[in-house]
Amino acid sequence: MIRKILLSSRPSFPARLLPLLLAFILTLAAISGALLLVSPEQRAYAAVEGKKLIYDEAGLLTDEEIAELNALANKLGAEQETDMIVWTTSNPEGGDVKKLTQDFYDDKGPGYDKQHGNAVILTVDMKNREIYLAGFYKAKTYLDDGRLDKIRDRITPSLTDGMYSRAFKMYIETAHRYMKFEPGVNPDNIFFNVGFQLVVSAAIGALIVGAMLRNSGGRVTVGSQTYEDSNSSGLLEHYDHHVNTTVTKRKIEKPSSGGGGGGGFGGGGTTGGGHSHSGSRGSF
Amino acid sequence: MPVIDYKCENCGSGMVFDSQTGMLTCKSCGRQDNIQQMNDPIRQNVAFERETVEYHCKSCGAVLITEPATSATVCSFCGSAVVLADRLSGRKAPALVLPFAISKEEAMRAFRKWCKNGRLTPAGFMTANRVKSITGMYVPFWLYDLNNHVEAHGHGTRVRVYTQGDYQYTETKHYEIYRKMRLNYVGVPIDAAEKMNDELMDRLEPFPYQRLQTFKTPYLAGYLAEKYSYDEHQLLPRAKHKVSPYIESSLRATVGSYTTMSFASKDIHTEMRRANYALLPVWVVHYDYNKQEHTFAMNGQTGKVVGKPPISKGKVVAWFAGIFGISLIGMKLISLAMGGDFL
Repeated sequence: MIRKILLSSRPSFPARLLPLLLAFILTLAAISGALLLVSPEQRAYAAVEGKKLIYDEAGLLTDEEIAELNALANKLGAEQETDMIVWTTSNPEGGDVKKLTQDFYDDKGPGYDKQHGNAVILTVDMKNREIYLAGFYKAKTYLDDGRLDKIRDRITPSLTDGMYSRAFKMYIETAHRYMKFEPGVNPDNIFFNVGFQLVVSAAIGALIVGAMLRNSGGRVTVGSQTYEDSNSSGLLEHYDHHVNTTVTKRKIEKPSSGGGGGGGFGGGGTTGGGHSHSGSRGSF
Repeated sequence: MPVIDYKCENCGSGMVFDSQTGMLTCKSCGRQDNIQQMNDPIRQNVAFERETVEYHCKSCGAVLITEPATSATVCSFCGSAVVLADRLSGRKAPALVLPFAISKEEAMRAFRKWCKNGRLTPAGFMTANRVKSITGMYVPFWLYDLNNHVEAHGHGTRVRVYTQGDYQYTETKHYEIYRKMRLNYVGVPIDAAEKMNDELMDRLEPFPYQRLQTFKTPYLAGYLAEKYSYDEHQLLPRAKHKVSPYIESSLRATVGSYTTMSFASKDIHTEMRRANYALLPVWVVHYDYNKQEHTFAMNGQTGKVVGKPPISKGKVVAWFAGIFGISLIGMKLISLAMGGDFL
């Protein structure tokens, strides 16, 4: 629509508008590019029949949901060279969820690059209603304890509500998105948010063009100093009496490391097979 | 004799004010007379009983077509510059005049340049080829000298934030504040012509007051001039209104060190010390664009142009899109610098 207005406004465009037009086209390109990349998940899931990554041993999902999640995990996992695994268990032996996850990794030996390679595992223990997230190798660096905590915080409400498929999808998408950021960077930094970037840019544009419009009819260039007779003007008398002082204090919140949320504890560790990993644990 | 005209003593042609030299000039023979040393005919015949209804051109005898507020004009038949003396004498005699420094040709050039620089105006407007008329006009202004006595009481706070141990402390100091100021303003201009747009005239400022001259009628030769429609008492409220933001900002400047400041009482007493009646030079441009007439005004001394130009929607959109795009790229670069990805 914007383009139409531009073109219909005048048949011949002055040459000095060309850079503007160029910038405009660049913008369109940038926006469309950005929009495409905001939600790569949304672009048609090719029904990749890849590895088995969804182990629904507790029977929380329908067959279609498993197929869909498996396809998504294969596709996004490939982009980050990491196996994105979901394992649900009814935990008949009543084991500890962290230990279960470690044993699962040692037993199955998943990994995108090799046996016991890059993998991130979400274990859902239906007996104790606990979850554990673990990142191995590349996923250990890119999904450290802090990022796994963030993912767990995001999906816990859906798990509590019993919307398992939705929670698992969110886990896969968030893990994929977080892995795009270098370690040590806050992936939820508002400056990385495309919506925020668009809003700020639009605000800058509106401010500047608004000022140009206001000033198009000539600016007021006189101020309080213009007509003031500085020789005879000034402060004659003044006082500043201090009346009282009020002080309020607030306890500084220490950034909680690991655990938090649903009363979980402990970050990563090392499996019996000697594979070190990051982790996040909590209940739902 | 309410009509004054200026005949060259050498050749008898009509003389006009020349903005380049500041002299009364004969275009035929080039004779130049220094206006400040001339005997102004208006001083000789002191008072006119009442305004004449009809004025006749002294050169050709035709009836001069004037509006009730016109005090100087050009005969529409023979082109002689005439001054209507009874509209410029007694109570209506201006004290000061700021002569034109910009000639008609210069004004036209400056206006064209201004049109070309309009970043949001349509291309058809930028060429400035539809100027209907450009008129040099002396606009009546009151220049107010206002003495203000300001007394204000208020409450201010200074806030300091610091951390000690596990706690963050916010310390707020409260102050009771009193300010007594004298603020005197000199030459605050308020236009006194009914037909001039106040907002437009306000934007024309500032006028270089150091070039003000004692009023003499020959300065008006060849230009239009108006007499005031409102006297200095009628316009005093506008003058007070105009200086009130100045007073506010001066008052605010004395309490700049406070984090928050609110005035509980503000007592402003304004006294009008003097109001000088002055004629200030304005080029008025009428411009036809898209069957609409736009009026622009140019400061006849500084060349500053004001007025609402037509706005091209396409250009507004283009500018917005351009700035938006550059900002977006900037945001992306910030994101990249912070460790994110570019897209």
